[in-house]
Amino acid sequence: MFKWTLLKELGEISEHDQAALDTLRKRVLGAGLIIVFFAAIILLRIWFLQIHKGEEYKNRAENNRIRIREVAAPRGDILDRNGKELVTNQPSFNVVLVREDSNDIDDLLKRLSVVLKDDVSVLWERIREAESKQRHIPIRLKENLSWDTLAYLETHNMDFPGIRIEVFPRRFYHYGDMAAHIIGYLGDISKKDLEEAGSDYYRGGDLVGKMGLEKLREKELRGEKGSSSSEVNARGFEQQLLTNVEPVPGNEMRLTLDLDLQQIAEESMDIDGKAGAVVAMEVKTGRILAFVSTPRLHLEDFDGGISTKKWQALLENPKHPLINKALQAMYPPGSTYKMVTALAGLAKGVINKDTTFFCPGHISFGNRRYHCWKRGGHGTVDLKRAISESCDVYFYQVGMRVGVDGLAEYARKLGLGVKTEVALEYEKSGLIPTKEWKKKKYGEKWQDGETLSLAIGQGFNLLTPLQLCQMTATLVNGGKLYQPQIIEKITDADGNIVESFIAKQTGELTESEKQYLELIKEGMTEVIQGARGTARNARLAGITVGGKTGTAQVVRLEQYKHLKEEDIPYKYRDHAWFTAFAPAEDPEIAVTVLVEHGLHGGSGAAPVAKAVMQKYFTDRLAVEEIRKSVAQ
Amino acid sequence: MFRVDRRFFMTFDWVLLSLLLLVCGMAFFNLYSASYPPAGGMPPYMKQAYLLLMGMAGIIFIVSFDYKELHFWNYPIYLLVIVLLAFVIFIGNSAGGAQRWINLGFFQLQPSEPAKLMMVITLASYYSRKEVVNGYSIKDLLIPIILMAIPFILILIQPDLGTALMFVIIFISMTVFAKLRWSSFLVLGLSGIGMAVVGWFYVLKPYQKQRVETLLNPAKDSLGEGYQILQSKIAVGSGGLFGKGYMEGTQGHLHFLPERHTDFAFSVWCEEWGFVGSLFFLAIYFFLLFWGLHVAMSARDRFGLFLAFGVVMLIFWQAVINLLMILGFLPVVGIPLPLFSYGGSSLLTTLFGMGILMNVRMRRFQTGSNLEDCDV
Repeated sequence: MFKWTLLKELGEISEHDQAALDTLRKRVLGAGLIIVFFAAIILLRIWFLQIHKGEEYKNRAENNRIRIREVAAPRGDILDRNGKELVTNQPSFNVVLVREDSNDIDDLLKRLSVVLKDDVSVLWERIREAESKQRHIPIRLKENLSWDTLAYLETHNMDFPGIRIEVFPRRFYHYGDMAAHIIGYLGDISKKDLEEAGSDYYRGGDLVGKMGLEKLREKELRGEKGSSSSEVNARGFEQQLLTNVEPVPGNEMRLTLDLDLQQIAEESMDIDGKAGAVVAMEVKTGRILAFVSTPRLHLEDFDGGISTKKWQALLENPKHPLINKALQAMYPPGSTYKMVTALAGLAKGVINKDTTFFCPGHISFGNRRYHCWKRGGHGTVDLKRAISESCDVYFYQVGMRVGVDGLAEYARKLGLGVKTEVALEYEKSGLIPTKEWKKKKYGEKWQDGETLSLAIGQGFNLLTPLQLCQMTATLVNGGKLYQPQIIEKITDADGNIVESFIAKQTGELTESEKQYLELIKEGMTEVIQGARGTARNARLAGITVGGKTGTAQVVRLEQYKHLKEEDIPYKYRDHAWFTAFAPAEDPEIAVTVLVEHGLHGGSGAAPVAKAVMQKYFTDRLAVEEIRKSVAQ
Repeated sequence: MFRVDRRFFMTFDWVLLSLLLLVCGMAFFNLYSASYPPAGGMPPYMKQAYLLLMGMAGIIFIVSFDYKELHFWNYPIYLLVIVLLAFVIFIGNSAGGAQRWINLGFFQLQPSEPAKLMMVITLASYYSRKEVVNGYSIKDLLIPIILMAIPFILILIQPDLGTALMFVIIFISMTVFAKLRWSSFLVLGLSGIGMAVVGWFYVLKPYQKQRVETLLNPAKDSLGEGYQILQSKIAVGSGGLFGKGYMEGTQGHLHFLPERHTDFAFSVWCEEWGFVGSLFFLAIYFFLLFWGLHVAMSARDRFGLFLAFGVVMLIFWQAVINLLMILGFLPVVGIPLPLFSYGGSSLLTTLFGMGILMNVRMRRFQTGSNLEDCDV
């Protein structure tokens, strides 16, 4: 057979040469060494991975396996003092895409863009921004779906693989823009804030307060995010829920504001589009009842980031809507400063109740003539009449005698020149000049003539409407300086009170100083109740009101002197002040109004304060009296 | 066909069989976990069990005749395998862009697997017949190079670079073992490097190049090839000292581990049995390899020695490449862990190789003269 002969032949080849076989056997041992070498490498590597780095890889396996999903906490509600809802949350429906669950994103987005009425490029941009995230993390494509869109997507969800609807708590402003400057708005957390926050609480895309109380009280309002962890497989499908922690809603914040007063104040300011501020305060506690700055901000514009165009418009608006004029802007006080001069004069013994000066309509000092606003003069006036008729000459005389530093001393005692420390942002401290201040600031000596301007509130002195309101309260509450406060009560999700209002006194006049307050109060009451008072139009039937008007000169230009007031360009018109309190017998409320370029305190600002007080005393005012005032 | 006598039981390599069954048992056990939950149809571990039985029958068949007959059968086997390799290119079933399988109904034959064993037999036959004193010259190596190049090229164009390179590795192992001249060594080495350079720029497909690049810089591509290597390292590393427990591996069961019951089956083992289990397995596995070398050393003739050595090298290199890949030292290449990874062609081929080892072992005392005594 062929097969066997072949094998026989092969057998003759030196297959059984023992010497050759032995050399080969030695080489097998060499091969054994190679196997040992690789076995050692493999063993060392396994030791390195499992023992040396075992813990690290165990963690990585857990991270692989466990997906933690954050659940946004509803932000705390903001209420007024009576529990009226100012800001709460409502569900917002967002479209999110999970890339992993979609196999043709291009086609999907094309169809989705028709439903959402957005350009495909807009949707792609959203995806591009989140490109680096893992594929199972949802990417938000559009927020705040309309009901129609939501219903369509829900019923056609089979046509949109990878698209889901996410429910997200969103701020809802019950009164629109009311108290907008105080509440503030939310926005995406900035990169800077994210780094500064330091903690690992925030993630990119989280909403945080950007202004007002939303910003200042962020920590209390935000609540605590919930989280659920579940086991997922490599495709991202959840296998089982491991832990679930419900979010803790943010703390409920009750403000000292009275929404009725706030509303009246805002609406009154809206008439004729007045730019300015209104502050109403409880005189015996410092509770802020109304806090208005106009023009108002439109909070809706800020939702989800304000457009550049709108932001630019806000910046360029000559009425500066972004500034909270109640505490972030300073104005010359005008005649409202005369109470400071009066108190300083009385306390320093320069004048008393019966001291009179003759007002011929002006006073000469140095080589200059200082005019009274009433060119014909007031004749012989005492303090009470000087206040009620706002006689400049009287206060020139007092100021001259007290001196700049004496005025400053009492301005400070009444809370001027320093921040009130109300818990709001960017408060200005105002300015109360002294001789030393001028030396420092300008390197010049104080001119006595400047003291005269100062005495009637037209010098270097500046204050904020909030400061003036606090001063008014101090003058009529018996000389106690209360810190203005805005928070009434903060309650956590379980109903525990975290913080509640406590009146905080930051200063007090001495007993001897206090005795002069009654006289000043009487003068201020005459401003409204007196026959020649400057704000008789602020009278309330049935309630005795006291107050003081003020006109803060913006510029003194000869070219406008001959013009009628209405013809002066807006930006050169005087600012109008009015600060008031009521009831005069036992004051409860102080209201301060500033109307930028409002010309006269009595006509420009007083009606706003009157409206606020009228609302405040509604219950006490006889129904007929209200009717009467409406008829007027 | 054969007569069972007492001598069969006395000379049979029971040690090798025990080691083999132990490894296959662990593989079966691991496969159950690695392919859980079953995806429908016959679960892989059952298929593996049937193939193991088939392989055992094959072993019995192989040990029943003298391995010397392979000198003759080598040529028809070679031709058959080449035909199958050519066939697969034209009509094979494709997976992942490469055509590798022939559907035989009960299982998918991957001709490149038996081709590896065929290569060992062919080279063993050639080198055992052609002995030279001072090592092989280039001229002597021409025939083995051609014999190796044909299947190499056929597999390369499937394309299956990893398997194709196995042929080069087997060729180098056996040729160096058979001894070659320094001059041949130099010429072959330089031309090998030259071909590698040419191959990198002209032959390798982009995905193959990417695999190599990924290995050098895994972070660059964490969701592609680097992802597989990373997940395998996490699986192995997270096993720790004692492992997560049988059926408790998260990397495997939650599908983070790719190819978890085929090429990456050992990652699952490491994850579930930890350092202790891995050590146990490797001890058995390497002991089996050493036993194979022992068989080679005890072979009665050149052919037996070459055969045994070649089979051991075939298993060893595949195992080393697979393990180094799993442990993150090599790029992802489609090389299984012989006997342990799921795959019918590989399992059967390896078992037949084991049959050859046993055959060589059984006939270690026989000489050429009593060739006729074999129970053929």
